[in-house]
Formats: sequence, structure tokens, C-alpha cells
Amino acid sequence: MLVKIDSAALLGLEAYLIEVEVDAQKGLPGQSIVGLPDASVRESRDRVRAAIENSGFEFPGGYFTINLAPADTKKEGPLYDLPIALGMLAVSEQVKTTQLNGTVVLGELSLDGSVRGINGLLPICLSLKQEGKKQVMVARENADEAALVEGLAVLPVANLREAVDHISGLKTIVPHQVDIAALFPPEPEYDLDFADVKGQGHVKRALEVAAAGGHNVLLVGSPGSGKTMLARRLPTILPPLSISEALEVTKLYSVTGLLDGKHALITTRPFRSPHHTTSDIGVIGGGRIPRPGEVSLAHLGVLFLDEFPEFEREVLEVLRQPLEDGQVTISRAHSTITYPAQFMLVAAMNPCPCGNYLDPVKKCVCPPYRVKNYWGKLSGPLLDRIDLHIEVPRLKQEELAAQPEGESSKLVRERVSQARLTQQARFKGTEVHCNARMTPKQMKAFCQLDPEAENLLKSAILHLRLSGRAYDRILKVSRTIADLEGTDTIQARHIAEATQYRTLDRWGGEGNV
Amino acid sequence: MGMESYRQGLAGEEIAERYLSQQGYEIVERNFRSQQGEIDLIAREGDDLVFVEVKNYSARSYGAPLSAVNRNKRRSIIHAARTFIYRKRIVGTNCRFDVITIYRQPDGSRAIELYKNAFAIN
Repeated sequence: MLVKIDSAALLGLEAYLIEVEVDAQKGLPGQSIVGLPDASVRESRDRVRAAIENSGFEFPGGYFTINLAPADTKKEGPLYDLPIALGMLAVSEQVKTTQLNGTVVLGELSLDGSVRGINGLLPICLSLKQEGKKQVMVARENADEAALVEGLAVLPVANLREAVDHISGLKTIVPHQVDIAALFPPEPEYDLDFADVKGQGHVKRALEVAAAGGHNVLLVGSPGSGKTMLARRLPTILPPLSISEALEVTKLYSVTGLLDGKHALITTRPFRSPHHTTSDIGVIGGGRIPRPGEVSLAHLGVLFLDEFPEFEREVLEVLRQPLEDGQVTISRAHSTITYPAQFMLVAAMNPCPCGNYLDPVKKCVCPPYRVKNYWGKLSGPLLDRIDLHIEVPRLKQEELAAQPEGESSKLVRERVSQARLTQQARFKGTEVHCNARMTPKQMKAFCQLDPEAENLLKSAILHLRLSGRAYDRILKVSRTIADLEGTDTIQARHIAEATQYRTLDRWGGEGNV
Repeated sequence: MGMESYRQGLAGEEIAERYLSQQGYEIVERNFRSQQGEIDLIAREGDDLVFVEVKNYSARSYGAPLSAVNRNKRRSIIHAARTFIYRKRIVGTNCRFDVITIYRQPDGSRAIELYKNAFAIN
């Protein structure tokens, strides 16, 4: 006797259908799972047995062959426990699967027979919907996540018993529904706010510009000057996520297993701050079974790299591809997987190893060669992709004692959102979505300077000995500043402000500190 | 192995046989041996063919009796079961491995427990 139950497997962010075939032959008891199962799939044998017995069913006799078709792709993860258990119960005629027609079954079994949630359920369900599937059976704890997919009936089950009762028609489960709009708060809710930060008005302004144009930022400042505090608040001034963006972010967190049970949908922009000992695989993604790395977890949000020069050189170099393409491609012998990685990079560093180089009061004790080595870790091509360099000075005594003041994140966010709308209209129909990603051709078309601005830029180049790439950066950033103001032509004051954000160039180029 | 424990083993198998008969098992074979294995009892229960391992233990023994049916013991039972099935040309029958444990309590009475479908061939 043979029973087939539909299930699914995940490859990157896409899923494909798996048919779980269960066949029983009379003879000595035993079972084998074929179809390239990995250890976690093979172990399902023991979980399934315990779950069946502890749910009050009889573990069927005979020799079982379980095939996960197509048999030529590797299967991983415990999500086939539930379909295998249902298949074995069906083959031994303890349950009829007629009610199952076409339902995709996904779930890990606990030894007591309860069904546990699985990672990557959201991307799986989205793919299933595309494949034309109508119904899925999932763990109750995962049901919200699956129900985010419109047009897919989600049957939540808490344990094997419930699944069997539904299939045999004893107790039909009502499909679970979620109102996506209700999951979205009218305003994104963050615990942090720009208004918490004391002083540092010019840094806040620079971050506003960065947020408005999607520019990458380098914060240079002494320890304790508030670089981390400021960076953490950057997501709060970015425009709110749209529903489709929220789904994209949630997909990545679902695959990585980082969704907590309470929030099925991530509605705020992510902020990731990996430690500087993180490996290149950890940052970029990969592994034997490729997983999204930090750059992908920061997708549509902020990737904050504190102690920037302390990161391994390889880590810094692998950042270049996602910074350029907005995605990461991981190639393996059998497959190539692409994860999205459109993030704003915020790098923070001390001006020198001791941290006091720029400090007006404390004296820097670093020998010059050490300062040079410190900066030398940052390669030119990498710094090239960072539009704004901002000095974050240490706060003065009176500033520290003062009450925090300044605009709330909400106010800044509204301006930023407005500037982003301007840019979206500008780049409509192209791949580009913000000023930071303008192509040279687009720069020519959209960065028109008035005569005064042109003169100022020329003299800045002369006096500050700015390079060609610094010139491009200044143009892009001034475009954003003008957008924030709502002006079409770039004026002298925009150029002047943008030049302020090129600290490293004013120092005479990287490594010449 | 001393004479004493051998005698106890035989006694245990008799007790097991009696117990299984009460449970509706029909004994087919005793102490079946193949080249590399042996089975204490072979029985039929309903449509199933059951290979039974009998384990005696007393308060003096160490560990749970079921865990005494270790990998090597299982291999020996499975080998014998395969040989039996082959020799008797048995097809289309579900087979099963049961373990029966007989605990001799200090007061001389015995507690019997039957573990159905105790293990599989892999």
C-alpha cells in the first residue's frame, strides 16, 4: 500500500513541492527514508515513532520505505515529521487521507505528539501560493506567519491527534486568518527616539540627509561620543515599511529562525550590529546550507559596523558586492542562491587607536604609523561607497548636563519620507530608487547647479584638492539636501553643506590623517 | 555462566511461554538458532509473527532489563529471524520483535512485563 502527501522544501527564499511517499511492505519491522535526507530528516524516524505512540495510535508493523520526491535534491530540517507520521498512519489504515487532497503538510513533531513550528514558513507559503496550492497544514504556533499569505487556507494543528481528526473528518479545523492591515501600527513603533540624544545637532542633521538619500555613512569620533547611540536611532527616521517590504524582511527572518512567536510580521526597519569578530560567512551569508547573513538581515534597514577597522579585512571586502548590487549571490555546486541585501551602511570608528586624535582636550598618544595602519585597513574601493563622513565630537560638560532636546524621530521621518517620494518620482521606471544609487548619466540629468553653486564647487575642489570621486559624492549628497528642502536646482548652500560631510577628503584623503 | 543461572534461564522461558499463551500467543518454536544468532521464542499473535526475547533479572542484576537487549543482542535476534523467515518461506506476514522481562522479587514471586514491538531492524 502506498500513500502520498504533499510537503515542501526551501531553497534560498524559494520553495518547491516535495511529495512524501510512504510505502509499507509486510515483513520484519523497520523503516528507511530515501531521497537524500540529511541527519535531521533521518532522525525523524525516532520522533515519529514516539509521537505516534504517545498520541494513542499504534505504531504500525512492517517495513516502511519513505521517499521524499524529487529524490535528487537534498532535504534538510525536521519539517517532514508530520507528513511522514500521517503517511504511516494512513498506510496502516488508522486514518483515511481522502480529506487531505492537495493539502500541503509541514511540521516538526515533538515526542509527545505536539506539532512544532518550522523555520522559513513564510517564504514556503508564498511559493506554494504561486504553485497554485490552496491549503496548508501547519503548527499552531506558526499559523499567523502562514496566514500572512493571502489566498492560502491555513489549517493550524497543535498536535498529531488534531491533524488526524481533521483528516478523518472527525473534527474539521477552521482555516486561520490574519488581518495584515491590523498588524501594521499607523506609525511605526520604536523604543528609541532621536529626541533622546543630547547635543550633536550637526550629526543628527547629517543622518537625516543620509536617511533621505539612502547614503552610507562613516561616523568618526572618540569613544563615548555617542556614535552607537546615534546609529541605533537611524531606523526610526527612515520611512515606514510598506506591506510588501515588511513581507520581504519577514521572509529573511523566517528563514533564519529569528521570528519570535508573538510578532508574525516585522513592521519596523531592521537594525543589525554584528560584532567585529563576525566571520565573512556570518556577514555575507553562506554555509553548507546557505543562510542569509547580516547584510541580508539588515535588508531595507541599517547595518551598523562599530569599530569598523577592527573587522577582518575579508569581511570588509565582501561587503562591496552587496553595497554595489543590493543583493548577495551564494554559489554552491548544486545551486545558486540570491538573498536581497539593500541596506544603509553605518560604519563607526575612532579617529585613531587611542581615540583621542580629534579631541580638543585629551591628547592622542598614538605614534603616527599606528594611526596610518589603523586607517589603512579601510580600502579605497570600500570608502568609495560611503558618501558621508561625519565627525562626532565628544560632548562638552555643559552639554552633558543639559536636558536632551531636539526634534522627535517622527518629525524628521516625515521630512525624510517626503524627500524619498521626490526621488521615487524622479527615478520612476528605473532600477534606482534613491539618490545614493544614481548612475553617472542620471547625475548629469538631475544634478543641475545654479551658477553660484558651480563656482563654489569649483573652488572647493581647488582648495580642498578634492578627487574626482569626492566630486561625485558631493553632487549626490547636495541633490539629497536640495530634495529635503524641496528645491529643484542645487544651490550654493547645498554644496556647502555637502562639502562639510567629506571629513576624510578635507583631511587630504584616506590614510593621510 | 554457572549452572544456577542456566537453570533460572530455563525456568524463565517456561514462565514466559505460559504468560504469552495466556495473552493469546501461539508458540511456534523455542530456542531457534542460526549461524550467527538465536531467538528464545517464536510465536504467532493474530496475523503477526512475533520473535520474543526473554530477559530474566533479579534485584542483584544491574540496569534495566530492556537495555540488556543491546545492539549485539538485537543483531543476533534479527539474524536468526531472517534465517527463520527464509527457511520457512514466510511471505506477506508482518513480523515483530517483542521483549518479555521477568523480575524475580526478593520474596521469590515474579513480575512479568511484555514490551511489544520493542525494536526494529534499523
